[in-house]
Amino acid sequence: MKHCIYAMSFVLLAGAPAALAQKWEVGVAGGGSFYTSQTITNPAGNADAGLAKGFAVSGWLGNNVSNLIGGELRYDYEHSGLRLSSGGTSVNFGGMTNAIHYDFLLHLAPSESPVRPFLAAGAGVKVYSGTGTEQPFQPLSNIALLTKTQEVKPLVSVGGGIKFALAKNALLRVEVHDFLTPFPQNVIAPNAGSKTGGWLQDFVVMAGLSFGF
Amino acid sequence: MLSKSYCWKAALAIGFAAVAWGGTFGTVVSIGGQASDVALDEPRGLLYIANFTANRVDVMSLANNTIQTSINVPAQPSALAVSPDDHFLVVAHFGNAAPPGSSTNALSVIDLGSNAIQTFALGSPPLGVAFGIDGMALVVTTTDFLLFDPVSGSTIELDTIAGVSAKTLPQPAGSTPTSIVAASVAASADGLTIYGLGDTLVFRYAVTNRALSASLYTAAPPLGPRVVSVSQDGSSFTAGWTLEDRYFFDISEFPNPSGILNVGTTAIDSAHNLIYAQVRAKGDQPSPVLQIVDADNLTVESKLNLPENFAGRSVLSSDGSTLYGVSDSGVMVLTVGSLSAAHQVVATQEDMVFRGNFCDRSVATQVLTVVDPSGGNTAFSITSNTPGLSVSPSSGVTPATILVTVDPNVFASQKGTVVAALQLQSDQAVNIPKAVRVLINSREPVQRGIFVDVPGVLVDMLADPTQNRFYLLRQDLNQVQVYDGTNNTLIATLRTGNVPKGMAIARDAFNRQYLLVGCDSAQYVSVFDLQTLQPTQPIRMQNGDYVQSLAAANNAILAVTRSSAGLDPSIHSIDLGTRSSTRLPSLGVFQNKVALNSVLVASTNGSSILLASTDGSVMLYDANSHSFTASRKDFTSLSGAYAASNFNQYVVGNNVLDSSLVPLGKLEVGTGAPSGFAFVDQFAFRTTAPGPPAGSVQSTAPGIIQRIDPTNLTSNVTRATPMVEAPLLGITGAAFTRTLAPLYSRTAIINLTVSGFTVLPWNYDAALAPPQITSVVNAADLTVPIAPGGLISVFGTQFSSVNLATNAVPLPTQLADTCLSVNGQPVPIRLVSLTQVNGQMPFEAIGDVTMILRTPGGTSNNYNLKVLPGAPAVFYNASAGPDTNLPTVFRGDDGLLVTDSHPVHRKDNADLVIYLTGLGQTNPAVGDGLPSPSNPLAVPLNAPGVTLGGVSLPVVSYNLTPGQVGWYQIEVNVPTSVPTGLSVPLVIAQGQNSTSLAVRVVD
Repeated sequence: MKHCIYAMSFVLLAGAPAALAQKWEVGVAGGGSFYTSQTITNPAGNADAGLAKGFAVSGWLGNNVSNLIGGELRYDYEHSGLRLSSGGTSVNFGGMTNAIHYDFLLHLAPSESPVRPFLAAGAGVKVYSGTGTEQPFQPLSNIALLTKTQEVKPLVSVGGGIKFALAKNALLRVEVHDFLTPFPQNVIAPNAGSKTGGWLQDFVVMAGLSFGF
Repeated sequence: MLSKSYCWKAALAIGFAAVAWGGTFGTVVSIGGQASDVALDEPRGLLYIANFTANRVDVMSLANNTIQTSINVPAQPSALAVSPDDHFLVVAHFGNAAPPGSSTNALSVIDLGSNAIQTFALGSPPLGVAFGIDGMALVVTTTDFLLFDPVSGSTIELDTIAGVSAKTLPQPAGSTPTSIVAASVAASADGLTIYGLGDTLVFRYAVTNRALSASLYTAAPPLGPRVVSVSQDGSSFTAGWTLEDRYFFDISEFPNPSGILNVGTTAIDSAHNLIYAQVRAKGDQPSPVLQIVDADNLTVESKLNLPENFAGRSVLSSDGSTLYGVSDSGVMVLTVGSLSAAHQVVATQEDMVFRGNFCDRSVATQVLTVVDPSGGNTAFSITSNTPGLSVSPSSGVTPATILVTVDPNVFASQKGTVVAALQLQSDQAVNIPKAVRVLINSREPVQRGIFVDVPGVLVDMLADPTQNRFYLLRQDLNQVQVYDGTNNTLIATLRTGNVPKGMAIARDAFNRQYLLVGCDSAQYVSVFDLQTLQPTQPIRMQNGDYVQSLAAANNAILAVTRSSAGLDPSIHSIDLGTRSSTRLPSLGVFQNKVALNSVLVASTNGSSILLASTDGSVMLYDANSHSFTASRKDFTSLSGAYAASNFNQYVVGNNVLDSSLVPLGKLEVGTGAPSGFAFVDQFAFRTTAPGPPAGSVQSTAPGIIQRIDPTNLTSNVTRATPMVEAPLLGITGAAFTRTLAPLYSRTAIINLTVSGFTVLPWNYDAALAPPQITSVVNAADLTVPIAPGGLISVFGTQFSSVNLATNAVPLPTQLADTCLSVNGQPVPIRLVSLTQVNGQMPFEAIGDVTMILRTPGGTSNNYNLKVLPGAPAVFYNASAGPDTNLPTVFRGDDGLLVTDSHPVHRKDNADLVIYLTGLGQTNPAVGDGLPSPSNPLAVPLNAPGVTLGGVSLPVVSYNLTPGQVGWYQIEVNVPTSVPTGLSVPLVIAQGQNSTSLAVRVVD
């Protein structure tokens, strides 16, 4: 079966170059997200807080302003539960994020190339949402509270990827992003006496398709 | 064929009609003769009735309960059975004529398809017939067991019988088929097992392997009613007044049976674990009564009035909805499946308790609720024959609320507990309503102890030797009640056999892990694991022996048994390991023959067991010699308390005996009859009570508890302390009483007393200091502001010698010898302890008031305090997981507690409900200690205001919480304008007073 896949990829790439001259690009992608955590300090004990691994989907509209420079407006949805752990105790709570941002793209190969690596950087906003069921008692609530509420945070995006020409108007994109936001202190709320801060990093690996026109 | 639903509706209509005719359950179908047996043919919708005297089989339609046809058969059809394929009806004919007549014993086979009849002569009178699942009919005669094939007409003799006789015809006028044939044979519903019973014969036939187990028996009185009913799987069966297992051992018996053969019936309903039974006891009124009892231990669930007596076999429809039985007129039909829809009358409380209160002699009123479980409206009347106890109204229609009123002044001279009864009667109801027991206590401060109401008949008590528990034996419900000694609350009930009489805890070899319960109407000794509080395999006594008393020494468990086989009462040794018992061949050098009313008690160290008998004899089992070492009869009779010490002293009644059971002396008799005695190390406790008044079985005067030095028997009188009520005294048939149990923790002494049990602290006779009040706060957040009707906590010293809380409604104004008053007005109390009393500030108390607390130790100094018109205070008694003392603020969307992890959301105008106290007087006014009404709601006169983060919250409602005492609730909206935060102040204000707490608010 592996032999068949390689063979098919070769055929698709061979007929691709004409697609790369398109000015506009629209696409969708899916993948997984991986968050770093932050330490919440409390005299009663510290806890690691953040979001659990989840899945991510994204959609974008881009344009190529030159042969190497482009930009795209992206929407990202991530289904990632809230997570808090301390010692042997961990608490999970339903959660998701919605983000919208604009990234500048620097391609490292000309538009005619069937394989175009690119770098991306941009900014936007991210909405953190706790969606779990609230209960009067939540373990580790003396340190922090996973909360059913929403919180908007500024977002910085960096990343990169490779565009593969599949056909005249079709691209296969494989990319990695790091979305950085300040720690969402309302959704994951430090309780009285607790402190936290800093930035939360969200690494997202996605693969998708885009179409030029 | 009629549909099942049609039959069901018809049965319902009949059931209702019967009820409407005058408070009896069931319909009588007269057949113009005397029925001897019935058999159901449900596929055809028919009931076959053997008309013994009219020589026919009457055929009754199940659809309308009318005789639609009759089949003429040879003389005296005595027993019937329908083949499993519903093809044949086999009829046995009892024709045992005395010379010069000639016998006509026979068997008829009726082909139910063609109505063709074939008759076969039998050599001996038939006792009964039943079909197995194999399609062969087992015919039992006085000489043999026959297997009859209705298809071929062939007969196989399975076995012969010797020694069975039958009555000869003719019989005197007035004889009935049941008393002439005096036998019954029945099959299990699965058709695999057939049981039978005659005057002297009992047998089991296993259909699969055609194995017979039969034996001759004796029973006194005779096993009547002469009916056999078999459980669905054949594991148990009723034979007259016994419920037996497949080995013919009595699982349980109906107590005190009359033994009448031709009155009554039994029918096992395995699907519902019930037995429908009419088993007349000696001394019962002749009016016919059906008992519905549990199928394992015959505990009576309810009693129903019948239109006439059953007189033989009953059969249940396959769905258990209808019972058909032979009765005096022919057949009686009971729609037991629709019993829940029939008129019945029951009181929701078994007991009502009016506690004596030396602070308050005003008339006391409680509410009794009378209902019809069917939800119907049933007329009833309720009466009291006790002066000072009245009811209003004295008649009504269910559901009804009856006010029961007691004038304490009428009972003031008793200084104990009077047991009165409220009799319920109804001409409409089919059931026999239980009387409501009313306990009216009157006491003086000097009387010690707190009594706990335990309804029913209590006959024995044991303290656990290794943990802080005690066990009560409730005989009328066949149960052991397990109580936690730390708070005297019931923690488990354990089912015993029928009529439990005595308990013992097995000793060292079993780590005191097993509780044994002997029963007067069961051949099995119930065994319970005290760690798991679960039943374990019971002990099977020898056939015909019933345990009267038990005791466990270090190396032996002994039981006094009575014998139904005509043997003398004797001592048995029980082997707990093999769950078996052995009648001891002798008691050392003495014969193993004791009086029926004998009891056993072991010393707490297990070295000896004392036997005491009502005939005045005593015996001593010595564990070291593993034998009985002493037997004496120095008295003409003995009764009352009995106990064995670890220091070779024994007490029976008022007599103290030495290690050879030689009388050492007598305890004082001036305080009354001995009830309880318990050795603790080298001293002892003893209780006595004056004799009961005429017509009563228990004393209404205060009992006396004494702390005794057995080496100085004359000293105990000076150490006598009056109790709150009298300990139980012996009655006829149970002359000995074990009513005293010092707890293992040595914190309290439990006494079986008139109302149930009475708890006395270990130092009950210590000198008591007068109480002192140090502070009074509201019981919600324990701050000083207090309002009328609010719940309060009073702190101080010497409030009570025990901890006790009550859920009684209305709240009592005295609890555990403690009462509280404000400006002379009694304060309803919910909890007392050494340093705290919780109660409700009377609604009338406002302004500057004076509080006084009274205990047996004296009266506190005046405590002056200010009661504000309104003083809102939120309760801090909620919990979430391990978090406790949380404020009682709840979210309206899910009804759950507001906490940091379950915060207030300010969107969508969310609701909050705040529970608090201290909102003051209400409209309508609510009585002190009474639950708040639900319609109309009791609304505080002064409206409260609520803010959250400084934003005023719209108040939706505010009122006393219905059904609660002293609890108020406020419902508010949370608008979106309130601020968010981890700690937002929620302020409840009323007038110039307010309370505040912090809640988390999020979007």
